[in-house]
Amino acid sequence: MTGAAPRDISKMKVNRKSVWMRLIDQRYLMLMSIPMLLYVLLFNYYPLWGWRYAFQNLDLSTIKEGAAWIGLGNFEWLFQEELFWFGFRNTLAMSLINLVFGTASSIILAILLNEVANRAFKRTVQTVTYLPHFLSMVIVVGMAQNMFASDGPVNSLLISLGIVKQPVWWLGEGKYFWWLVGVINVWKEVGWNSIIYISTMTSIDPTLYEAASIDGAGRFQRILNVTLPGIKSTFVVLLIMNIGHLMEAGFEIQYLLGNKQVYDFSQTLDVFVMEFGIQNNKYGRAISAGMFKSVVGIILLFLANFVAKKLDEETLL
Amino acid sequence: MTQIIVKKRKKHRRDLAFPIVNTVVLLLLMFLTLYPVLNTVAISFNDGIDAVRGGIGLWPREFSVEAYKSLLSDKLTYNAFGISVARTVITTVLNIFLTSMLAFALSRKEYVLRKPITLIVVLTMYVNAGLIPNFLLIQKTLNLSKTFWVYIVPTMFSCFNMIVIRTYIIGLPEALAESARIDGANDLRIFWQIIFPLCMPVLATVALFVAVGSWNQWFDTQLYNGSKKNLYSLQYLLKMKLATSMNTTNAANTSVDALAATSASKSTPVTVRCAITVVSALPILIVYPFLQRYFVTGMVLGGVKG
Amino acid sequence: MRKLLAILLTLAMVFSFAGVAFAEEEVITVTVFRGDPGDQPTDDNKMYKLIEEEFGIKFEIEFLAGDLDETLGTKLAGEDYPDLFDGGNSAEKLINAGALINLLDYINETDTPNLYNHIKDILPQIVNEKGELFIIPNYGINYNAQIQNACNGPAFFIQKQVLAWADYPQIKTLNEYFELIEDYIAANPTNENGAAYEGFAILCEDWRHFCLINPVQHLMGRPNDGEVLINVNSGNWETETFIDKPYAKAYYEKLNEAYNNGLINPDTFVMTYDQYIAKLSSGTVLGMFDQTWDFGTATAALETAGMYENTYIALPLVYDEEYGYGVIEEQYLNGAVPNKDRGFGISVKCEYPERMIQLFEGLLSDKWQKLLQWGIEGEDYYVEDGRMLMTPEQYANRQDAAWKMKNAALTIWESAPKKQGTQDDGNAWAHSDQGENYFNLMSDYDKAFLSAYGYKKPADFFNAPCELAPYGEAWQIDKSPIQDDYDKFLLLQDQWLPKVIMSADQAELDANWDAFVEEITPYAEIYTEFMQAEVLKLVELATK
Repeated sequence: MTGAAPRDISKMKVNRKSVWMRLIDQRYLMLMSIPMLLYVLLFNYYPLWGWRYAFQNLDLSTIKEGAAWIGLGNFEWLFQEELFWFGFRNTLAMSLINLVFGTASSIILAILLNEVANRAFKRTVQTVTYLPHFLSMVIVVGMAQNMFASDGPVNSLLISLGIVKQPVWWLGEGKYFWWLVGVINVWKEVGWNSIIYISTMTSIDPTLYEAASIDGAGRFQRILNVTLPGIKSTFVVLLIMNIGHLMEAGFEIQYLLGNKQVYDFSQTLDVFVMEFGIQNNKYGRAISAGMFKSVVGIILLFLANFVAKKLDEETLL
Repeated sequence: MTQIIVKKRKKHRRDLAFPIVNTVVLLLLMFLTLYPVLNTVAISFNDGIDAVRGGIGLWPREFSVEAYKSLLSDKLTYNAFGISVARTVITTVLNIFLTSMLAFALSRKEYVLRKPITLIVVLTMYVNAGLIPNFLLIQKTLNLSKTFWVYIVPTMFSCFNMIVIRTYIIGLPEALAESARIDGANDLRIFWQIIFPLCMPVLATVALFVAVGSWNQWFDTQLYNGSKKNLYSLQYLLKMKLATSMNTTNAANTSVDALAATSASKSTPVTVRCAITVVSALPILIVYPFLQRYFVTGMVLGGVKG
Repeated sequence: MRKLLAILLTLAMVFSFAGVAFAEEEVITVTVFRGDPGDQPTDDNKMYKLIEEEFGIKFEIEFLAGDLDETLGTKLAGEDYPDLFDGGNSAEKLINAGALINLLDYINETDTPNLYNHIKDILPQIVNEKGELFIIPNYGINYNAQIQNACNGPAFFIQKQVLAWADYPQIKTLNEYFELIEDYIAANPTNENGAAYEGFAILCEDWRHFCLINPVQHLMGRPNDGEVLINVNSGNWETETFIDKPYAKAYYEKLNEAYNNGLINPDTFVMTYDQYIAKLSSGTVLGMFDQTWDFGTATAALETAGMYENTYIALPLVYDEEYGYGVIEEQYLNGAVPNKDRGFGISVKCEYPERMIQLFEGLLSDKWQKLLQWGIEGEDYYVEDGRMLMTPEQYANRQDAAWKMKNAALTIWESAPKKQGTQDDGNAWAHSDQGENYFNLMSDYDKAFLSAYGYKKPADFFNAPCELAPYGEAWQIDKSPIQDDYDKFLLLQDQWLPKVIMSADQAELDANWDAFVEEITPYAEIYTEFMQAEVLKLVELATK
C-alpha cells in the first residue's frame, strides 16, 4: 500500500494537468458541442430572462419608454381574472380526459392487435391507425369541423339511428367541447400511442402464455393474467410521465377549433397567453400567466420523475 | 389427459368468436380512421356546386378535377409548396446533423465537459419560458420575422431527439470507435465516418419526426410571416383557406358566377379546401409507411428514455 | 480604429445623401397595410400606374388575412410598421401605441391647402385631447350637399324577391318583417336549385358582432350610437346601455321565436365574416341585420351574377305598438359623421412622411378625386352637358371585382382622405351618388321593384336623415381607458345572446336572460358611467 502511494500522487498531478491537456485533446468534441451549448443557451435559457416582465407593467404603451416594476401586480390581476381560472380548469380537464381516454384506448388497441394472428392484417391495421398522427392539426380540425357540422355525417348518422331528433350543435356548445377534443385526440393518436404497448407485449416471455394455456386459462384470462401484468410497468411509467405533462393540454386544437360560443370551455392557458399577449399586447400579464403555467408544470414534472424513480427502484425492477 | 384435450377443443370452438369479433372491431376502427380522410379526398374530386349540397360519402358523386385545376393555377400554392419543402428539407438536414453531433460528443464518457453540458441541455426539457418571451426573442432580439430563416433557426436542435440518438450511440459497440482512434482518427472523423453511418436507423426515425413537425407547422408563419405572402407555408395557406370557406353545406350555392365573383381571397369552395388538404397531407402520407419499421424502434427508445 | 470609424462614417454619410438624392427622383415603394380583407391589384393596374407616373410612388399592399387584433398585435409587438397604416376597426391601438405620426405637424394652409381645407371645419371633432390628429377620416367629409340615395348604414335587410312575392307590402315593424319571412319560407322552402333558404342570418364575428348587439337602439327609433341609447331630447344627454334592459329582451325573444320556427341556423353564431359573405353571395339568406357597406362584396357578386332578386333592400324597422313602447317613429338615417380615426395613418417608421402628405394632398385635388372616384374620362365615364355619366357597361364594371383589380386604386380610394357630397359644378363626387347614373343604370329588376312601391331610390323607404347629434355618433368614442371592462361587456353579450336566442322555451329564455343581465350589470354600469362622461364632454366641446 505504502509503495503505491507515490504513484497515486504522480497520477493525480498528471490528471490535474491533463484536465487542460484533455480539453485540448478533446478540441473536436468541444467543437461539436460548444456551439450547440450556445444555441441552447440562447434559445432555451435567454427567454427565461423575459420572465422579469411578469413583474413589470409591459404593454404597448410602456414598451417604448421601458416598463415599470410593479411587483406582483400582474399576478394579482391574473388570480382575479375569471378567464384565467377558466383556462386553468380547461387545461386540467382536457389533459385528464386525454390521459384517461388516450391511455385506455391505446392499451385496448394494443391488446386487440396482439391477439391478431394474421401478420399482414396486423400490419395493415397498424399502418392505417398511425396515419392520423402524421396529419397536421389544421387538417385534423378541418376534417372534424366537417364531420361534426350541424348537417355533417355524425349528425346524419345519429338522426338516422334515431338517437337524436334534432341535429346536435357539436361545435357551438361549450358542454361538448372538452369531449370533442378528447375524441379528436384519441382518433389522431390511438395508433401511435399503442406502439409502445405493442412492443412491450412482444417482449413478454411466450412461455408465460403457454404456461397459462396449460393451466387452462382462456383468452381473456391470459390477457388478464399475462398481458396486462406484462405491460404494467410501461403503463405506470407513461402514466406518471403524462401526469408530469398535465399543464400541456395543447394549444393548436383549442385555438383552431374554438370559437366565441365555446370560449369558456375552449380556452387553455396557452390560448389565454396568446390572446392577452399577442392580441391585446398585454405582455406583462401574458408572461405572468405563462410563467405560472411553466412553474406548475415544472413542479408536476419533478414530482412525477421523483415518483417514477421511487417506483422504479421499489416495484418495477 | 383426455379431459384436458376435450377442454381445449371446446375452447377452440369458443375461441373462434373472439378472432371474429376482434377482426370486426379492428376493421371498424380502420373505417373510422379512414372515413374522414377518404371523404375529404372524395369531396376534392367532386364537382364544386354539387358538393355544397352535402351528403358525399367515400366516392365523388360528380367527378371533376376542377378544384385541383383552380388550386394549381394559383401562384400562391406553388410558392407555399416550395416554402414548405424547403423549410422541411433544410430543417431536417441541419437538425439531424447538429443534434447527432452533440449526441455523439455527449456520448463520449471521457469528455470532460460531458456532465455539465448534458445537464444544461437536458434541463431544457423541463423549463420552457413560454410563448411571449420566445416571441420577443425571435421578433425583437434576433429580428428573424419576415424572413425564411425564422422557419429554420429556432428548430435546428431538439433535446429529446438528442437523447434518443445518444442512447443509440451508447448502445453501439465501443470497439469500432476505439480501433479508429488507434489508427489516429480524430473525433470529427470518428463521428462522421463511423458513428454517423451506423446511426442511420435511429436517424431515419428522428428525421421523420423533425420533417413531420416542420411540414405540419403553421403557427410560426402566422406569428412571424403573416404579412409575407411569399413566405407562407402550405399549412398556413390551408389554415387561411379553412377560415375563409363555408363551413356548412346548407349554404348550398346556386350560382358559380356568384361564387367566382366573390373573389378567391374571400371564399373558398369546399372542394378546393379539400383539395388543398389532400395536397398538404400527401407528401407525408407517401413517405411514412416506408419508414414505419424505423419509427417503431425510435418510439421505443424515446419512450423508455424520455 | 478611429480612422476606420471615420472612413465608415464618411461612407455612410455619402451613401445616405445619395439615398436622399435618389429618393427625390426615383420611384419609391411604399408599404401599405389595410385592416380589411381585399384583393391585390394587378401589376398592370392603370390607376396605380397613373399614381406612379405623377407621384413617383409604388405601393406594396398587404391586406388583412385572419384576425385583425392578432395581426395588429403582432405588428405592434415587433414594431413591424408599414409606411401607410390602416388599422381598420382597431386603429385606436395604433394611436395608443405611438405607431403613427401627428399629421397636424405637416398640414398647414400654405403647403397643403387641400388637406387644410378638408379638415378645418371638423378639426375639433377629430383631434384628441392633446390636439393631435393621427388619421384623417376616410369617409364622412361632405362638400356642398350630402347625397343619400340609399341607406349605407345599419338597417334590417330583406331579399327583394321576398317583398315581390308578397306583392310589395310596406314592412315597417319587427313583427311584420319576421311574419313575412316565415310565410315566404313556408311557401318556398328552397330555391329553384333545391338549396334550402335560411330565414335570418346573424353575423357575430369579432367587431362585426354589431349585427347581433346593435339592433335594439334602432328598433327604439334612434340612429347608430353603438352600444348606448342616448336621450337627445331632454337636454341632459342621459346615456344608458340598452342591451340589459327589458326593451332589448323583446327583440331577442322575437329572435328566439324565429329560431324555434327554424328561421335561424345555429351555425350563424360561429360563422366567420368570409363564410357570411359567401352565404349571402349564394342568395339563400333571406334577411339579416347589418350595415350596407359591410356586405358590399356580396351585393356586387349577386349583381355580377345577375341575381338581382336575391339582392337586399334596407328596411327601417321599429317595434310594433303592441310591444308597449308606444308608436315609434324610425330614425335610422343621420347627418354625415366624419369617420373618426378610420383610414390611413403614416407610421413613425415611414422614411418619407413629407411625400406621403404630399401624396394625400395631391390625391385630394379635384383632378385626382375624379380619377379615383370616377376613373378616366372617355374610358370609364363620359361628360354630356356638363354632367358626368356612365354607359351601362362602364357602370357594370364598377361592380365587377375582377375589373376593379385591374382598373381602380381601390385601397387608396378607400383609406385615403376623400371628398364626398357634391362638386361645385353640381356633379356628385362619388360615381354611385350621381343621380342619373343611379336611376338610369339601375337594373331593370331594381327599377321595377322601386316603381312598384312608387319610389325613386332605396332611401325612400326611410325618413329623412335627422341632424347629427352634437356628440357625433357615440360608437366612435375611444373606449381604451376602460378596455378590460369594455371587452368583458362585449364578450358577455357574444356569449349570452346566442344562448338566449337558442333557448328551447320561454322558461329557459327567462332564466338565460336573467343570468345574462346579472352578469353584465357591473360592466354595463362601468361602461355607462364612462360613456355618459364622454358624451357630455363632446357635447360641451361642440357647443363651445
